[in-house]
Amino acid sequence: MAKTYDYLFKLLLIGDSGVGKTCILFRFSEDAFNTTFISTIGIDFKIRTIELDGKKIKLQIWDTAGQERFRTITTAYYRGAMGIMLVYDITQEKSFENIKNWIRNIEENASSDVEKMLLGNKCELNDKRQVSKERGQQLAVEYGIKFIETSAKSSINVEEAFLTLASDIKAKMEKRMESSNPPKGGVHVSKASDSTRKPESWLSRCSLL
Amino acid sequence: MSAEKATLDSSKEVVDCRNKNKVRCQFCNSLMLKPKAAMFIEKQVSEQKYLNFQLTFIAFQFKLPLIHQKNSVDIKDVETEEISEYWVVNDMLTFENIGFSNQVENTKFLTCADCEKGPVGFNIASEKNCYIALSRVKHVE
Repeated sequence: MAKTYDYLFKLLLIGDSGVGKTCILFRFSEDAFNTTFISTIGIDFKIRTIELDGKKIKLQIWDTAGQERFRTITTAYYRGAMGIMLVYDITQEKSFENIKNWIRNIEENASSDVEKMLLGNKCELNDKRQVSKERGQQLAVEYGIKFIETSAKSSINVEEAFLTLASDIKAKMEKRMESSNPPKGGVHVSKASDSTRKPESWLSRCSLL
Repeated sequence: MSAEKATLDSSKEVVDCRNKNKVRCQFCNSLMLKPKAAMFIEKQVSEQKYLNFQLTFIAFQFKLPLIHQKNSVDIKDVETEEISEYWVVNDMLTFENIGFSNQVENTKFLTCADCEKGPVGFNIASEKNCYIALSRVKHVE
């Protein structure tokens, strides 16, 4: 069967419990009144499809689903992960302080080239804010990673965050592919071959199945 | 096109054994499957008939838990309904957007990736096939 996508990226959401990781996985839904079967058993992972520079990218996203409470996030969980969203709650100082511990945990357990991004979630609750945006930015600079404040509840910046992380992983992969397959013939560039190599749009490439 | 079970006419949705239209969440419209991405399957079809499509599928009759449980929250005592018509894909990456629940016995249930309503379908842990109930989703041109 023909592949209907160009890349598959495995992403993890990491952070203290209660910071809203689960909400980041989906648009906030207000379903407080009905007992649903799904909310009882919980979500394992999600598949999302995005497009970047004409490439179709499948994201497979896991959230720690409460394991973090027991600090049992180990190598098995990180295996194969290409990107990690580090999430804290801007209204919970402790969750921000713990980001350093999470980064240490990642360094000990995950692949060293995993792409990371810092998310300050619940930015709609500005009146309860305990962590300033500047401190978030500063921490991100310290670790050389990107930072964005999000509101899963108000759907602010969540999609942007995933697009940014996916874009960074894609850039890293393409760079790696280039360096392992250096273009032949030095600086010689033929215009004819350029036009034949013009990328097709994914629409024309991905004739389904 | 309506997603209501009573008015769903699956024959209008199936062209060459595949989904004619987009498959979307009936609550939030999230796109699950593009047109022609999935095969149509009905319960109690013979394995022979679908061998061409390499489905490891034998006659089945699946009881899908109701989206809104009226009484019970106990996993062992869920309210279900029998659903016979499904879209099937044999690679979960065929989905545009979908959620997988934690495993209950040998089954993972499928949900909307955006609003998490479900189950809209299921996946048996030992198989690659994923099944989406026609009556739990919306079909849109």
